[in-house]
Amino acid sequence: MTEHDFLAAELALGLLEGEELLAARGLLASDPAFAALVADWEARLAPLLDEIGPETPPANLWSRVLTQLDTPPTADAEVIALRQNVRRWQWTAGLSALAASLLAILTLPPLFAPKPPPAVPLVAVFTLPSTQARLGVTYLPERGDLLVSAVGLAGDGVHDHELWLVPPDGKTISLGIVTPDQARRVRLRADLAAQLRNGATLALTREPLGGSQGRPAGPVVATTKFFST
Amino acid sequence: MTTRDDLAAAMQRIAAGDRAALEFVYRATSAKLFGICLRITGNRSEAEDALQDVYVSLWNTAGRFDPARASAVSWLAVFARNRAIDRLRRRRRVDQSAPLEAAAEVADARPLADATLLAGEERARVHGCLEQLDEPQRGAIRTAFFDGLTYAELAERRDVPLGTAKSWIRRGLARLKACLEA
Repeated sequence: MTEHDFLAAELALGLLEGEELLAARGLLASDPAFAALVADWEARLAPLLDEIGPETPPANLWSRVLTQLDTPPTADAEVIALRQNVRRWQWTAGLSALAASLLAILTLPPLFAPKPPPAVPLVAVFTLPSTQARLGVTYLPERGDLLVSAVGLAGDGVHDHELWLVPPDGKTISLGIVTPDQARRVRLRADLAAQLRNGATLALTREPLGGSQGRPAGPVVATTKFFST
Repeated sequence: MTTRDDLAAAMQRIAAGDRAALEFVYRATSAKLFGICLRITGNRSEAEDALQDVYVSLWNTAGRFDPARASAVSWLAVFARNRAIDRLRRRRRVDQSAPLEAAAEVADARPLADATLLAGEERARVHGCLEQLDEPQRGAIRTAFFDGLTYAELAERRDVPLGTAKSWIRRGLARLKACLEA
């Protein structure tokens, strides 16, 4: 079994916690091959659940489900739900409907006015040309932590890889040096964290050892985008 | 009698926003899934909350079900186990003093009489392969699976170092996979 296969089984079983769990979940969201391994293990183990006999749930449980589905969720959940609606409208009715739905969000009652930060993690994955390595980046909004997994990425001893956020204005912001072959976790400054969102562009550059400040000096190795999980 | 195809079709209708399909799936699977929630959480009111979670979140995530990969009921059973484990973890974080053993008191084996929804998926095979493992690997995997324990919790319960618990599980998993693929 490969290390990823073990990790997939451990995730499926629920054995992981802490950073290992976060890294595995990031991989799950960003790496389809790993997600397939997890699904395989879940399918392998699922028949064991047949050992557990059925139990009749209380009669009112279905109405509890309905009530919760019909209850306006809390502000936080509301924003997520709206985002899902936006996605749906986008698909069905194209851009004009999207514009309308964005307007709907902007004109929400003031209850939801101070928009909470996104509660869902953001995930990005870099596929590096000419190697098998993938670089996984997971942002955990609850804690403002950025998890960078560079397992399989080798350093050449002369260069460092540096991770950048590329805002719409093009003024790159360094998110730090990537440590080869390690999963690393950094706490982001609040002003930086505020710029991370679904669709935000990330770039990976090759820099002199120690990296560059302010703007990348070396060539761009790969770019990718954050998506919400 | 609900067939696997009926369920799979209903899952697709849920993904399309069909409330009646959600009720159909609830009627067909809630007893099976409640058994799972009860077994994992070891607590009736917690299990009820977990079951509620399952169907509320199914409303939004049924689209992730891929009929090419698993049967609907198998997918739902795993989904319910994962939701129940989420609840269990949240509770343990809130109440660190809760003895882990509390979750272990519900009996493992029950008659399969009405619980064979997963039939046809090499049920006997994974059971047989698991039975072939030696102790402590077999027991470690079973405990992790049915009690929703993490490595750290498993190590604590068995009073062994973390690395030992990890190597039990990993050795067991490797043999389990080899047996399933044999």
